[in-house]
Amino acid sequence: MNGARLVTECLKAQGVTTVFGYPGGAIMPVYDALYDSGIEHFLCRNEQGAAIEAIGYARARGNDTVGVCIATSGPGATNLITGLGDALMDSIPVVAITGQVGSGLIGTDAFQEADVLGLSLACTKHSFIVQNIDELPDVFAKAFQIAKSGRPGPVLIDIPKDVQFAETRLQPVVREKLNPAPANAQNLQSAVELLKVSKRPIVYVGGGVGMAHAVPTLRRFLEISRIPSVSTLKGLGAVLPSDPYYMGMIGMHGTKAANYATQEADLLIVLGARFDDRVTGKLESFATNAKVIHADIDAAEIGKLRQADIALQGDLNQTLEALTLALDIQPWREDVLRLKRDFDFTYQENQGEGEINPNWLLHTLSRRKAENAVIVTDVGQHQMWAAQHMRHFAPENFITSAGFGTMGFGLPAAIGAQKARPADDVILVTGDGSIMMNIQELGAVKSGRVPVKILLLDNQRLGMVRQWQSLFFHGRHSATVLDDNPDFVTLASAFGIAGERIEKAGDVSAALDRLLNAEGAYFLHVCIHEDENVWPLVPPGACNTDMIEEMS
Amino acid sequence: MTQTEMTIVANHRPEVLERILRVVRHRGFTVTRMKMLLENEKVWLDLTVIGERDVCRLVNQVAKLFDVVDVTCESCE
Repeated sequence: MNGARLVTECLKAQGVTTVFGYPGGAIMPVYDALYDSGIEHFLCRNEQGAAIEAIGYARARGNDTVGVCIATSGPGATNLITGLGDALMDSIPVVAITGQVGSGLIGTDAFQEADVLGLSLACTKHSFIVQNIDELPDVFAKAFQIAKSGRPGPVLIDIPKDVQFAETRLQPVVREKLNPAPANAQNLQSAVELLKVSKRPIVYVGGGVGMAHAVPTLRRFLEISRIPSVSTLKGLGAVLPSDPYYMGMIGMHGTKAANYATQEADLLIVLGARFDDRVTGKLESFATNAKVIHADIDAAEIGKLRQADIALQGDLNQTLEALTLALDIQPWREDVLRLKRDFDFTYQENQGEGEINPNWLLHTLSRRKAENAVIVTDVGQHQMWAAQHMRHFAPENFITSAGFGTMGFGLPAAIGAQKARPADDVILVTGDGSIMMNIQELGAVKSGRVPVKILLLDNQRLGMVRQWQSLFFHGRHSATVLDDNPDFVTLASAFGIAGERIEKAGDVSAALDRLLNAEGAYFLHVCIHEDENVWPLVPPGACNTDMIEEMS
Repeated sequence: MTQTEMTIVANHRPEVLERILRVVRHRGFTVTRMKMLLENEKVWLDLTVIGERDVCRLVNQVAKLFDVVDVTCESCE
């Protein structure tokens, strides 16, 4: 067989059944091998779509599933980069395969040549160029192993065209995922002692909990210890909303209870989180009276931004089991219940001829959707509303671009999620700015008959930037007005996707029913007021207690 | 600005030097002196860097690169 056939055999040896990609000159041998390989190839409409579809696929399926995307050399490969950056920031296991010009042409400025290995350095966990056919099986084995071991992430394999054509008798190789080592036993004991004397502990849950398959262990830990908890955007779903001491999201658009309680804590138990600036606000003011137990698989995260009193680098499940004990902190629990009661979100119901309240709409959708439905978002105001006003039951059921904040993420991620979970509903919550960034993937929805449900909250603005301009740039709305948006329902119909547009509050309920009951893809275009805002908001550089809730 | 010396041992790959230097730059340090030797498929790199940030954070970032075998830094023993 040739190198291209060995590529498809390596993919099959890794258990890959679906790949996302777009063909082109330097990857043609691999596409020829894919043709009768038995691997399903899903055709995106731009390589950025393929990378993000692979992310959506990996995230929705979980269980160390590696998403695979394929592109040609030069512009095909550069189009992947935003998706790879997203996967790197959110620690998603992805393997990207790119065709490269023939080895002899590398460095000659050949047609569609780019230094893809060089380009990959800042947006992948690791990357390879296959220098000869003999390297290929082990490069694939290493790539999949690296993508899913330790802190997961994207790995790129660049394959020159001559390597794809080269004849070989080599067979695929598989390397097993490397399991994490246990945390230091003495540090674990110190953490237990710290926990026992704490009067106001808070568990700060990050995306690493889901990545470590530690959600059941976390829930048991919280059930026994009854420690109040908060979550990052990517951690949403790890703690059940029914946990009485769970306060929801922390940070810039966190709940008031989460932000106030965290500032009062005397101990933070940080689980798979990294003190992101959107979480901490002004770092020097963040939970200043709290000691820190920091558990993470990545040694480089511990102490990166906030010094840990106790570092627990290693297996999170084992760490959580060791920390699971009953605590005598009832007064603190009561304080938290009071904060939750005093500062819970309230809603203005959608009725009559008035404007549609997006918060209530999402709150309603959250209660009507199927229990195992996957919610995917784009980036912006709608993303924060979905985080705040929907209930999240599993990290793999809330897929959003957290660290990178990639506008255009939603539609391809929803497609990938639907391919991963064909039996479950996948609902995309998007905005008019975001969806236009990868609108071409409606073509992939059509050709792939992907029954994704699209809910567009359209304020004819780049809403989050507009909100910041109103708050911090004297209302100078520079380049954020999108009142020349296309007619989205007509646009969807051009791709064979049914849909409707609603403008009145009283139309929401029935329209949500039609969205949820549609057999195929559906596009619900919801018009909301241009001045809708996300509250609360911690201004950049402020302390998390300094939340604002209205325009001054 | 603090000046620190570190020694890095890495598997030889075509891009490994770029990979290390990119991390050094991106994490807030400037290379002021460098000596590199390729021997037995291993890269030996003596670096002197200056920066305002904690150099041990840089050591952690370099150490997690896949092809880096060892990083020693007298400030982070």
